[in-house]
Formats: sequence, C-alpha cells, structure tokens
Amino acid sequence: MTVMPAVSLCDIRKKFGHFEVLKGVSFDAREGDVISILGSSGSGKSTMLRCINMLEVPTSGTVSIHGELIETRVKSGSTAPANPRQVDRIRSEVAMVFQSFNLWSHMTILQNVIEAPVHVQRRPHKECIAEAEALLEKVGIADKRGSYPSELSGGQQQRAAIARALAQKPKVLLFDEPTSALDPELVGEVLTVMRALANEGRTMLVVTHEMGFAREVSDRILFLHKGQIEVDGRPDEIFTKGRNLQFDQFTSRVQ
Amino acid sequence: MSPSFIWETFVTLLAGVPVTLQLTVVSVLAGIALALVLAVLRLSRSRLARLFVSTYVFAFRGSPMLVQIFLIYYGLGQFKSTLQDLHLWYLFRDPYFCVLLALSLNTAAYGCEIIRGGLQSVPAQQVEAGRACGMSGLLLFRRITMPIAVRNIVPIYGNEVILMVKGTALASTVTIMEITGIAAKLIAETYRAFEVFAAAGALYLLINFFLMRLIGLVERAMSPHSRRTQRPSEAVEAIATTH
Amino acid sequence: MIEYLILFGTGPDGWGDDLAVGAAITIAVAIAGFLLGAVFGSLVAWARLAGNLPLRLLGEGYTTVLRGIPDLLVIYLFYFGGSAALGAIMGLFGSQGFVALPSFAVGAAAIGVVSAAYQAEVFRASFNALSQGEMEAARAAGMHNSLMFRRIIVPQLLRHAIPGLGNVWLLVVKESALVSVTGLAELMRTTQLAAGSTRLPFDFYLAGALIYLVITIFSTLLFAQAERRSRRGFREAMR
Repeated sequence: MTVMPAVSLCDIRKKFGHFEVLKGVSFDAREGDVISILGSSGSGKSTMLRCINMLEVPTSGTVSIHGELIETRVKSGSTAPANPRQVDRIRSEVAMVFQSFNLWSHMTILQNVIEAPVHVQRRPHKECIAEAEALLEKVGIADKRGSYPSELSGGQQQRAAIARALAQKPKVLLFDEPTSALDPELVGEVLTVMRALANEGRTMLVVTHEMGFAREVSDRILFLHKGQIEVDGRPDEIFTKGRNLQFDQFTSRVQ
Repeated sequence: MSPSFIWETFVTLLAGVPVTLQLTVVSVLAGIALALVLAVLRLSRSRLARLFVSTYVFAFRGSPMLVQIFLIYYGLGQFKSTLQDLHLWYLFRDPYFCVLLALSLNTAAYGCEIIRGGLQSVPAQQVEAGRACGMSGLLLFRRITMPIAVRNIVPIYGNEVILMVKGTALASTVTIMEITGIAAKLIAETYRAFEVFAAAGALYLLINFFLMRLIGLVERAMSPHSRRTQRPSEAVEAIATTH
Repeated sequence: MIEYLILFGTGPDGWGDDLAVGAAITIAVAIAGFLLGAVFGSLVAWARLAGNLPLRLLGEGYTTVLRGIPDLLVIYLFYFGGSAALGAIMGLFGSQGFVALPSFAVGAAAIGVVSAAYQAEVFRASFNALSQGEMEAARAAGMHNSLMFRRIIVPQLLRHAIPGLGNVWLLVVKESALVSVTGLAELMRTTQLAAGSTRLPFDFYLAGALIYLVITIFSTLLFAQAERRSRRGFREAMR
C-alpha cells in the first residue's frame, strides 16, 4: 500500500509574461522528508516553493498536499485558485518561513506567534498562548515574548518566525532561503533550530544556499537549473563529480 | 508696541476660539467619514466610481478653498428658489453650514489620499505572511493591513488637522466671527496691525501646540513600544502633501 | 447657450477678457511671491543648516510660526500693517490719512514670506538627501569646492527639490486667491466682481474654480517635465 506523499508537484510550469520560469517540474515529498532545494538565482527554486502554498499560481500543472489536489481554473487569461477557502485551509496547514522574516511589525513576538492559531485556526486563546510560550522556549527566545520585531536581531527574528510557523501545527514546513538575509554570525543559530526540527521527523522543504546544511541534514537534494530539476537524489549520491554538468559548475562556484 | 495691548487683544480673541475649534473638529470628523467612503470607492471595480473619486480629489485639491466656500455660500444662492422648494434653503443661507460643508468636502479630498497612501505603504511582505498562514479578505484586512496603515496615517492626518485649523480662518470672509474674523475687526478699528497679528498668531500657535501634543499622544498609544523615530512612509507623505 | 458665449466673451458685456486678465495677474503675483519665497527660503534653509545655534533656532522658529498661522492673517498684517507703517512714514513728511500700499506688492510679499517657510523645508530636506558618497568621490577626484558645488551639489539639490517645490507652487497659486482681500484684481476678485454684477454667482465662481484647475493642470505638467529632465542622468545610471 502506497502512502500519500506529503507534497506532490506534477509538471508545474510557471510563466511571468513571456518568460517561463518553471519548465515542467515534478517531484513527490514523502512525510518526514527533509528536502533541500538548490540552484543559482533565476533557476526558479523560490517560485517552485511558492507554488506549493499558492503564493504563486502555476500556469499549468498540479499541486497536491497529502493527496488533496489544489483546484485551479483559468480566468481571463491567467490561472487562479478555484476555491479560495480550500487555499486558505491548506495554507494554514502548510507553514512558510520567509527570507526577510516578515514578522508583523505592529505585534509583539508572542502576538505574532499566536496570531494564526487564534484567528485562522480558531483554537482557544489560552491554549495558543501556552503553546506559543513553549515554542519560543524551544527556539531560544522566550525572554523576547513581549518585544517587538524591530527590537530583535535578524537571527532572533527568524527564530521567532520559525516559532510562528510551528504554532500552526503544520503538516509541511516551507523555508524560502531562511538564512540568506542574515549576517554570517547569525546564520548558525537559525540552522541549529532547523536541524533540530529535521531530527524530529518533520516534513521540510528548504530553498537554501547553505551547502553544509544541505549535505548533512537533508534526506534529498533537488537541484534546479533554468526552470528544470536537473538533479534529484540523496546527498551521498549526488556530490560525486561527473553526474551532472550544471550541478558540478554550481557546486564549484559556491564552494 | 504695547505688551498690555497685545495681552488685551489676546483675551478679546479668545472669544473666537470655541468657533475655531468647533469648525475644525466638526469638519475634520465629517471629512474623515467622507474620506473613508471615497477611499473605498477608489478601490471599487467600477471605472465610473474610480473616475468620480479622482475627479473629486483633483477638483478640491486643485482649487483654492476660498473659491469653494464662495461657490457654496454665494454660488448656491443662484438656486435659491429651487432650494426653497426642497426646504433646504435655511441650511444653505447659513454661513456656518456653508463653511462647514466646504471645509469638510475639502479635507475629505486630502484625507482620501492620505488613507490611500497609508494603505499602499503597508509592507507587502507582511501582508504575504498573513496570506501564507491562511488569512484572507476581511480577516487579513482587519488584523494586518488596517492596523499597520493606521499607524502610518495618524501623523500625516495630524498635519492635516493643523492645516484645517488654518482653513477655518477663511470663515471670516463670510461674516463668521472666529479668531481671524475678530482680529480683522480689531485691526480695522485700531489700525494696530502688528500687535493684533502678534496676539492672533500666538493664539493659533498655542492651539497648534496643543493639537500636536494630542496627536502625539494618540500616536504613542498606538505604538506602545519605543519605536525609533520612524518617519511615516514616504509614500504617504508624497501623496498627501499638496495643500 | 448664446448668453453664456456673450457672458464669457470679450465684448463690452463679456467678462471673458476680465477673467483672462485676472488669471494673468494671479499667475504674476504667484510667480513674484514664489521667487521671493525661494530667495528668502534659501536663506532660512541656510540658517537652519549651516548657522550657529541662535540662527538655527531663529530659522526653526520662522518655519514653525509661518506654517502654523493662517495665510489670511499674514496678508492682513502686510496690507494693514504695511499701510499703517507707510502712513506713519508719510506722516513724518506731513501727509495725513490712510495710504494704501500697492496691493500687488503687498500680495507678493505676503505670499513670499509664507512660501519661504515651506520652501526652506524643501531645501533643507533636499540638502539632507544629498549623497555623501558622491561628494566624497568628487573630493577624492580633486574637485575644489565651487566646482563640486556647481557640477555635483546643485543638480542633485534640484533633483530632490523639484517635487517639493511643485507642491509649494500649487500652495502659492491657491494662496494668491486670498490676496483678493487687498482689492488686487486677480482672478478671485474679478470673479467676485463678475458674480456680484451679473447676479450669477454660481456660474462665475464655477468658472473661476475651473480656471484655477486649468492653472493647476498646467503647473503639474510643467513640474513633471522639469522633474523628468532633472532625473535624466540618474535614471540611466540605475539601469
């Protein structure tokens, strides 16, 4: 009996105007997989990730989360989600961590973390606060619960953003270049948190430039080049030279 | 230059303060209400609605307030019989009503642009984070977009309130005895323009000072943490400042 | 319909020519006031930027006061106060009675004094927006002060100042309507006279408003042009 993949992308194409960013990408992520997505800028990796929670709507192709297909339709020349309620529901089960943290500036850290559980998932207020405190403790910034995002360092803000994502009790975690906007000294603290999450068996899709993380923590690595998946395999397999020209060029440039 | 005369004048002018404040407060409140309606219309799908709003804003921001007041107070007198039939003449022949109407319509035009600027200046990334966790529509607007927009809008709107205080001075041209009206009368009687100007100017500056304090309080109540002196978004200012 | 053509025409009963003259005087007094304001405003801006403490405070006081007091009051000051002062001076020479100052001069002066406060703020903001890096590069390349001023600072100042000055200009045009209280036959006053004489206040005040809007449109287009030209080099560099 086959188990439903947590995330399933089937022949995703995405065009911005005349420019085709994604030229037919397909892959399945099983539950518990930690998948690193690599590629040079312009390869379409962020776009592909954003298609999963419909922040970008694929021009063609399908996205399924735990077997549920996200319905789309074509409206006046462009594709849009057919059922906004379905999209909202799926988004509350698929949490995203952004490159620029995107914490809500008018709320404290604690308020940021409980916002989605209370207002989107409508869970009891007290329960959400208790869980939020535990999550902030887990990522190491419990003492900042009453502070505002502008008072935290980049690394602290990103850890807060991760706590916010975890508060949704998500089935899938999406990370869009989570450490790219951080000063080098702060990258480590965020990667530590992410490693811990991976060890817990969470389903994580991570667009990243951090080769070390990709090699050591992922179950699988996807390498995108010009809108297509050139390489898809386990870290120990793919880092042998000669497998793929583009990938070798990429790794030699990055390292 | 007699300090005692300036002081006496100052005291005499105080009689105009209630009128000035009344005109300011009522027109600002009415203006905000109208500005909200205009701002919503501006986002409407209907091209006609959007065209109406941009024409309205252009008309009221592009012409002098004095013309607007005269147009309503004197101009509508041309239609006296029609207004009498509609039982509205008693309103439109009252200078106080006409000035209030003109001021409200005027500040609504600026307010609409201020609100628009405030909404536009909400960082798209924070809105995206809201959408990414499943928020949309009214929830997204209520929890994310509006609170952030309001924080940007308050300082700029505060500026607009001060401009409205200055606008009330024009009421003196249609016989309303607010501060400037009384001042003009005093100058005509005593020919001591400098001293009357000093007293009236001081009074207006005092009013502005207290208004700014009030607005500062409102600002701080909305942002309880010590924000670095964050300048309101340039977008809001750029759109809103042609007065 | 024909009545309107006559009314707004250029014949003896037509107010069209008077309105045109009024509009011209409006623009003239606005330009005069704006230029006065530019000169005075730069001085105030300089005082606030480069002056010692008393000068800076004076400058700040000036801008605060003049942006907080109704323009009408300033016009009354210049008109009645100026006349009183002139009357006092003439009194020394033995003349009696109220001597009215030329309303154009009074209007332009009042406008100048108020717009100076706003223009000072525009200049100050523009100066603060100047890129330190570019000035450093100029110095490193060996430019001396006046060359740097001419080739680097002034073009940048203008680029930053034009939008703000455009706003102030529109303020000035609208303020010019207030000068009508001095009796100057600019557009507002002319409209008033026409309205009273023809007993068609709505028609004429509407016409007046429309003419002001036309002036606004042209001014906006002009300033947009100027802004585009001043940003010429800047935009290409960004590409």
